Amino acid sequence: MHRLLPLVVAAAFAAPLAAQTPNPAAAPDLSDPEVAHVAVTANSIDIDMAKLAQTRTTNAAVKQFAATMITDHTAVNQQAAALASELGVTPADNAVSQSLETGAKQARATLEPLHGRAFDRAYIDREVAYHQAVLDAIDKVLIPTTENAELKQLLTAVRPAVAAHLEHAKQLRTQLGPSARASK
Amino acid sequence: MILWLLLMLGAVPKTHTVEIRGMEFHPAVLTVAVGDTVLWINRDIVPHTATASSGAGWNTGQLLQNQTGRQVMTRPGATRYVCSFHPTMRGKLIVR
Repeated sequence: MHRLLPLVVAAAFAAPLAAQTPNPAAAPDLSDPEVAHVAVTANSIDIDMAKLAQTRTTNAAVKQFAATMITDHTAVNQQAAALASELGVTPADNAVSQSLETGAKQARATLEPLHGRAFDRAYIDREVAYHQAVLDAIDKVLIPTTENAELKQLLTAVRPAVAAHLEHAKQLRTQLGPSARASK
Repeated sequence: MILWLLLMLGAVPKTHTVEIRGMEFHPAVLTVAVGDTVLWINRDIVPHTATASSGAGWNTGQLLQNQTGRQVMTRPGATRYVCSFHPTMRGKLIVR
């Protein structure tokens, strides 16, 4: 089962601008330190993407969204770090985290050349897809795999925030109008 | 006895608590009397606000985890409010 791990969560995260759904039948077997690493990596990627957005967008609503992403994902990572320290757990790098990083680089390469409304739409499209993938991964991979009760509780507590971010991003996508890709 | 009489007459202002958890206001709709205080407490990991959407003009400002914000309701009427960071979070206060 473990060898399916990169396929499953890469499907959830790696495609930077396309919503994908992981295969629930192939939930990988992550250790708790690996789950912690995946969670921290997923948060850090969204923080970095939001920092890029803040330097590119002139849209007040997109700027506010990006600020919220930085604040919220930073708060979650601080809690994760505090919990890991309390439990004496060192987050362990793994294939899922690496696939997340690869997907993030691809997403950044796609967004980097864009400006103005084209950037806003591509960024928000990406945020919708990313938060949907993270939500699916929390439900189908991270929570079911986690053994430690406190880590599971943290993931459970984070889930509503991810769901709210997803809805917020969808609202913005509607406000921004169809993306360049969709309108072709 | 006097306190009891005041309570019976509804003259003593009360404090009502709205808990913010799971990215929602609990209760989402709250009815209070003029002069009552509403206290919001944030139980989530992420920061929130309770910010009046319309002319009421009140705002708790940023509430970190387990921080509280309070507001005395001085005018009757219904006010919708949101978290200014998370517009999907909505609440309603009815002041009578």
